Amino acid sequence: MNVKALTALSFFTAISLIGLSTTALADTAAKAPVNLTAIVMFLAFVCVTLGITYWAARRTKTTADFYAAGGGIGGFQNGLAIAGDYMSAASFLGIAGLVYMSGFDGLIYAIGFLVGWPIVLLLIAEPLRNLGKYTFADVASFRLQQKPIRILAASGSLVTVIFYLIAQLVGAGKLIEVLFGLPYETAVIIVGVLMTLYVTFGGMLATTWVQLIKAILLLSGASLMALLVMAHFGFSFENMFAEAVKVHSKGIAIMAPGTLVSDPISAISLGMALMFGTAGLPHILMRFFTVKDAVQARRSVFYATGFIGYFYILTFIIGFGAIVLLLNHPDYFADGKLVGGTNMAAIHLSQALGGDLLLGFISAVAFATILAVVSGLTLAGSSAISHDLYATLVLKGERNEKKEMRASRIATICLGVIAVLLGIVFENQNVAFMVGLAFCVAASANFPILLLSMYWRKLTTRGAVIGGSIGLLTALVLVIIGPTVWVDALHFEQAIFPYKYPAIFSVSAAFFGIWLFSILDKSKTAKAEEAAFDAQFVRSQTGIGISEAAEH
Amino acid sequence: MNHPEQIRQMPEYVALTQARKKIVWPLSIAIIAVYFALILIIAFWPASLGAPIGEGVTSIGIALGLGVIIFCMVITGIYVTYANRVIEPLTRAIAQKAGALK
Repeated sequence: MNVKALTALSFFTAISLIGLSTTALADTAAKAPVNLTAIVMFLAFVCVTLGITYWAARRTKTTADFYAAGGGIGGFQNGLAIAGDYMSAASFLGIAGLVYMSGFDGLIYAIGFLVGWPIVLLLIAEPLRNLGKYTFADVASFRLQQKPIRILAASGSLVTVIFYLIAQLVGAGKLIEVLFGLPYETAVIIVGVLMTLYVTFGGMLATTWVQLIKAILLLSGASLMALLVMAHFGFSFENMFAEAVKVHSKGIAIMAPGTLVSDPISAISLGMALMFGTAGLPHILMRFFTVKDAVQARRSVFYATGFIGYFYILTFIIGFGAIVLLLNHPDYFADGKLVGGTNMAAIHLSQALGGDLLLGFISAVAFATILAVVSGLTLAGSSAISHDLYATLVLKGERNEKKEMRASRIATICLGVIAVLLGIVFENQNVAFMVGLAFCVAASANFPILLLSMYWRKLTTRGAVIGGSIGLLTALVLVIIGPTVWVDALHFEQAIFPYKYPAIFSVSAAFFGIWLFSILDKSKTAKAEEAAFDAQFVRSQTGIGISEAAEH
Repeated sequence: MNHPEQIRQMPEYVALTQARKKIVWPLSIAIIAVYFALILIIAFWPASLGAPIGEGVTSIGIALGLGVIIFCMVITGIYVTYANRVIEPLTRAIAQKAGALK
């Protein structure tokens, strides 16, 4: 029945997509020129991924299939899928755009997004796989009380997922508006419908394969672009930098840190949010449950780090290529500004390098990237709702596969609708801060609870709940009263809190709160939780017991 | 109930936790130190990163930045090699012994 529904829905989507592209073709004049290659390639991607979803839907019967693809993904594939989850359109277009705009500053972000990975590998990946089943709340609540910990972990996950989703969807709408000439709302709705289809019917299996295809497309597209750029400069970085310095309005300043990070507090804060936030992103953590054991989890991070690092080097080259190859061509500019904003630097560069064909390919890849990332986020959000909230609060621990499956599908559809509505509401808002906020919340709430639950014997439920909530609220409040929301979005004159990035305060507050309220907790449950640490640690280190746990 | 307690007593388990400690903390501290050192230089002495390395325009900052990216890959490489060589045999030995306990 589900498969039938999917077929009908996919058919409907395909028809409407073709319809939309023809209308888009018809009023070419009004918006951006429509690239036929881009549309054909994008439709091909949609057809293939819907085909995969159809295939995956027949294999997605249990909650283990839905949340974790039955645990049957290999280490290499998972590494590529993790990289896919992480290499969003925001990081591809955003970092290339930042490099294009200010050179070195773009590199600061690229490094920040990467340095979390060794931490994930060294401290998180293996014990996470050994202790958890589907969500990181499984791990945090392993020896603590289920109800309060799951509510807290699910809140942290949902806040992270929603902000990340809004940022991606608004970016997607704008990008598709420029690339394909579709109206903003239509673009957001298409993305929303497709992601909901993938996740509702195909669960983790479909999401993983969508992610894999997209990762391969994105890595090959970016590699090709970087190769063409390097060929242009005779494969010499020095030549490339020298040319860029010559044509850039900031001149030699693009070789040094600029205005992105101005004071030490912001610099350290940004660093903390990026480094520890990575280790607290629910859609990334969830990927570790799709592999068989800790060995595969380890392999996953190794490959993921390699792919992500390589990808950021490519975007760096692409950004510099854009400086040299675009700044000399007035075609790409309107009123002295890059058409479509600096985020379009990589897209314009693809045209400069390989004409309409490469432009079409890279545009389609960018669209595919957005689709894949939002699907991963939606899946993480819906599992927080169904596995952590619904199963604990409504089913009260009674195991009921059918009900939980239904809940996760309903949750996916609700999340899809909410995300699309928010995406439309936030159309003209500056949403750049939302990714930063997502990382900050992940670093201030999810990461401390997860880390301490695995490594700190004296952690108690009370400590985790109070400290984690302090971290979550501090991060939210400080971002709201800080310059990015208070001044840029709400247009007040002066920010109450002077720093753009509050992680240094919110992460410290979380760790301090968890520590203080744990050691002050002298209750009986606290003693029991402490006593349960040894057994948990044995399992986290050896993985003994995970196969038994996966069955019931 | 005594199962994890028995595992804790195994010499292999003691060796495992020590082997892990020996690699995890130095590497974690290394990556955190390298990254925050770069961040602090960016915050306090930004101009020093703009200095060219040699004759050309390529700056120390660019080289250091790309270096940190490579460093992340190297760290994960070191850990995975060590884990496969040292940690894995111990884990397997423990799992085997634990299997015999039942």
